[in-house]
Amino acid sequence: MKIAGAYTLPVPRERAWATLQDPVVLARCMPGCDALELIGPGEYHMKMKLTLASLSGLFDGKVRIADQEPLDRFRLTVEGSGKIGFMRGEGLLTLAGSGASTEVAFDGDVQVGGTIAAIGQRLLDTTSRMLIKRFFEKLISIERNDG
Amino acid sequence: MIPQNFEYSAPRTLPDALALLADPDCKILAGGMSLIPMMKLRLAAPSHVVDLGRVPELNRISESGGVVHIGAMATHHEIEIAAAVRGRAPLLAEVASSIGDVQVRNRGTIGGSIAHADPAADYPAALLALEANIRVVSASSDRVIAASDFFLDAFTTALEPGEIVLEIQVPAEDSAEGWAYEKVAHPASGFAVVGVVARVRKQGTRIAMARIGITGLAACAFRDRTAEQQLEAGGAAVFAQGAQPSSDLYASADYRLHLARIHGARALQAALAKIA
Repeated sequence: MKIAGAYTLPVPRERAWATLQDPVVLARCMPGCDALELIGPGEYHMKMKLTLASLSGLFDGKVRIADQEPLDRFRLTVEGSGKIGFMRGEGLLTLAGSGASTEVAFDGDVQVGGTIAAIGQRLLDTTSRMLIKRFFEKLISIERNDG
Repeated sequence: MIPQNFEYSAPRTLPDALALLADPDCKILAGGMSLIPMMKLRLAAPSHVVDLGRVPELNRISESGGVVHIGAMATHHEIEIAAAVRGRAPLLAEVASSIGDVQVRNRGTIGGSIAHADPAADYPAALLALEANIRVVSASSDRVIAASDFFLDAFTTALEPGEIVLEIQVPAEDSAEGWAYEKVAHPASGFAVVGVVARVRKQGTRIAMARIGITGLAACAFRDRTAEQQLEAGGAAVFAQGAQPSSDLYASADYRLHLARIHGARALQAALAKIA
């Protein structure tokens, strides 16, 4: 499933770039994620507890940051699996803008499988977009409070 | 399949129920039309289920002072046949009659449906267009939330932990109003692929008041205020402008938007036709 969109962060490019590469910030913004643990260059171990309506599931997996072109773009991969299924999201994040705010556009692909996909097909698109929205909203609120 | 072990409580009074909800791991069971299938598939595994089915004050339906009060545990079928709803809020009775199938309507409840907040549920479109209020209580609070402030996102409402929906308050219908619900039901689940509620009042030949509620189209049901303004200004309405339509294997985003426009126009036409 293709997914694309854009959000505006209220900070200059350099700051937005640094924030998006910071595992502490990423962990705080990813819904249900407690911490990211470095396991290799640009690669982190992730544990995520996803709760949505009555559904809840633990996912164990990886977050990978690659193809970095500083201040312009990088590739972010999030993958995890658990008892209720697996998910894999990969996308190219592109930063643009000069001045006090930065537009972050993403364009990627989400794959979900297992029970969760068999039952929840109707909701995959909505849910993926909601999780991405929560991620950016949290990121924006963190930036606002720090700045 | 068999759900994981869980503790089960069936309180008989509202204070007992609210006291149990202090447990952060508990999950409320209303009609069970969404929760039980999820538990059987083990997609949901709450450690404690609190069944509200035996709290008598939760399923009453009554009318007083121009407001129809519908208890959270009233089933869709009870809403469909209640004299107070049919007489004073017939739009809601009609929407209730379009939900799922007979079995779902006999078990499923309005409180369960709105607290679950499925993006394709039928009630939100009606409650938004009716400008209904939702009264929610917890052990320490009692507040009323407007429907337009209640539905926040897919499966996300303004309910705080420990709060339950007590009742839905629907303003009694003005006899000069016309209304209609136009829905494209998913053939398997009966959920609204897209559903549009139109509620209108006329003054002479022009539309004095328009309320449009749209469900199924996007992550969350919404009031189409742009279309409402266009209609009240005497123009033609373009429905669902600026919406972000959802997409799935059954209906693409473009197709959903197309359905919303067609069924918006049909709902409006049917609502206008009801004004004598």
